[in-house]
Amino acid sequence: MKMRSRILAVAALAAGLVVAVPGVASASGESVGVCIVESPAGEEIVGLTAEELEEEQVEALGEAADECVEAPNPVVPEINELIWGGIFFLIVLVGLMKFAVPALKKGMADREERIRDDLEQAEKAKVDGQEQLSSYEQQLADAREEAARIIEEARASADGVRQELIAQAEQDAAGVRERANVDIAAATERATSDLQAQVGELAIELAEKVVEHSLDHDTQTALIENYINEVGSSSE
Amino acid sequence: MTILTILAEITGDIEVGLKAMGYGLAAIGPGIGIGYLVGNAVQAMARQPEAAGMVRTTMFLGIAFAEALALFGFVLFFL
Amino acid sequence: MPAALAAFEFPPVSHLFEWPVVILDGTPLAINKTVVLTGAAALLTIGFFVLGSRKRALVPSGFQNLAESSYELVEENIAVEVMGAEDGKRWTPFLTSLFFFIFFMNIFEVIPGIQFPPTSRIAIPALLAIIVWLMMIFLGMKTQGVGGYFKSSLFPPGVPKVLYLLVTPIEFISTFLVRPFSHAVRLFANMMAGHILLTTFALLSAALWLGKWNAIFLPLPVVGGAAMTGFEVLVAVLQAYIFTILTAVYIGGSLHPEH
Repeated sequence: MKMRSRILAVAALAAGLVVAVPGVASASGESVGVCIVESPAGEEIVGLTAEELEEEQVEALGEAADECVEAPNPVVPEINELIWGGIFFLIVLVGLMKFAVPALKKGMADREERIRDDLEQAEKAKVDGQEQLSSYEQQLADAREEAARIIEEARASADGVRQELIAQAEQDAAGVRERANVDIAAATERATSDLQAQVGELAIELAEKVVEHSLDHDTQTALIENYINEVGSSSE
Repeated sequence: MTILTILAEITGDIEVGLKAMGYGLAAIGPGIGIGYLVGNAVQAMARQPEAAGMVRTTMFLGIAFAEALALFGFVLFFL
Repeated sequence: MPAALAAFEFPPVSHLFEWPVVILDGTPLAINKTVVLTGAAALLTIGFFVLGSRKRALVPSGFQNLAESSYELVEENIAVEVMGAEDGKRWTPFLTSLFFFIFFMNIFEVIPGIQFPPTSRIAIPALLAIIVWLMMIFLGMKTQGVGGYFKSSLFPPGVPKVLYLLVTPIEFISTFLVRPFSHAVRLFANMMAGHILLTTFALLSAALWLGKWNAIFLPLPVVGGAAMTGFEVLVAVLQAYIFTILTAVYIGGSLHPEH
């Protein structure tokens, strides 16, 4: 919106220039002819014919024409313009150096300082934030470590429990086995003693039988085998 | 108007014409010089855009010095 | 010659620049249009910067912004660029007043209703150039001593002794004679040429407007005049810039002789 109004203003200015340039500038000059006629020599001869002109008048006219064509030289400075220009330039110098520039510089320095302050503050805030962030991060890391530690502990204790249980079980098993071994040994012993007793009995029986019958070799052998078989079957 | 003034105007015209020619001649050298100068400055700026500011300042200085010659001719036109 | 164009007489050049004296005729303090416009430019320059520096808002807007960026423009692009940071900052107020004084005088060339740059009268550019020239010599003598200044400006070091026969006169002419002359004439001639150019287009337009059928050609000089007006705005800025930058170069050269 603002931009457009500016563009419009510029366009209006340009249009105004186009209209105004020819109009105003054309009024700024006058022609050589008018200049000659309006000079004293020109006014003197108005109305005279060429034959009536005197030589002096013609010369005066020529001089007037020369003046009109050449007029004051634009390359030679005029004293009043020099003086006034000097005065005005001094005024500009004094006005600017005494009043405008110090204020301007002060304003700019103030702003510079303000901006520097702002930047410093921002820097400080940034550092603070960074610190806070790092502390938070530290806390987070601590918490994470803690959690890991707890998990580790739990795992370790679980391991301990497991080991304990296994050991317990192994111990139990060992106990059972031991007991079984003891039982077996006892049973074996009992069996052996039983057998011994039985063998003794049988031996006595056998001896009775041997003594009862006078036995031949074959019968003897058969008897012994019988006996062994009996023992084998009973010991089983 | 009179023969005298007409004559004066004719000789004036010749004088003015000679002065104008003098100015035209005076403009040739600086014209070539400024063209050469600006062309090289543009080349320099294209090669080293980071030095454009310095090149531009120097270019304007050079133009000002070269242009002065043409302007002397222009002022002589009025002398 | 067609009848319409016969009526078109170009006024002598001096008539484009001569203005009747308003008051104080015949005294050295006579006031004519040039003087009035010079004073107007001086007031504009002071007013521009005083108004721009009066409020001192922390966030600059409008006028203040314009004045400050103008000041910084001169400081950064002219003073510091040419004279170095320290001298540049010290001389910026002078260069700023010079730049804007000349700029406002130049821009009167295209302001409708005024259309006359006081700088197209030799007096103003010559005055400014002479001031700068005197300052250049004075500062050179002050910083380097009288002998030292002439030695460094007339006998540039690093030249074979025999060549001084050739170099010294050239240096003298170019430094002490041609410098102020070209400094003044550059501004003066540019503005004068611009004024003549605009007047030519304007008078052509007027002549074609008055002629019966010639008006069909009117767009040509009118468009040309408008384009030239735009071009003259550029010239006004550029000439003020060049005048100021040359001032900076001359004064900077006096403060720091070439090595």
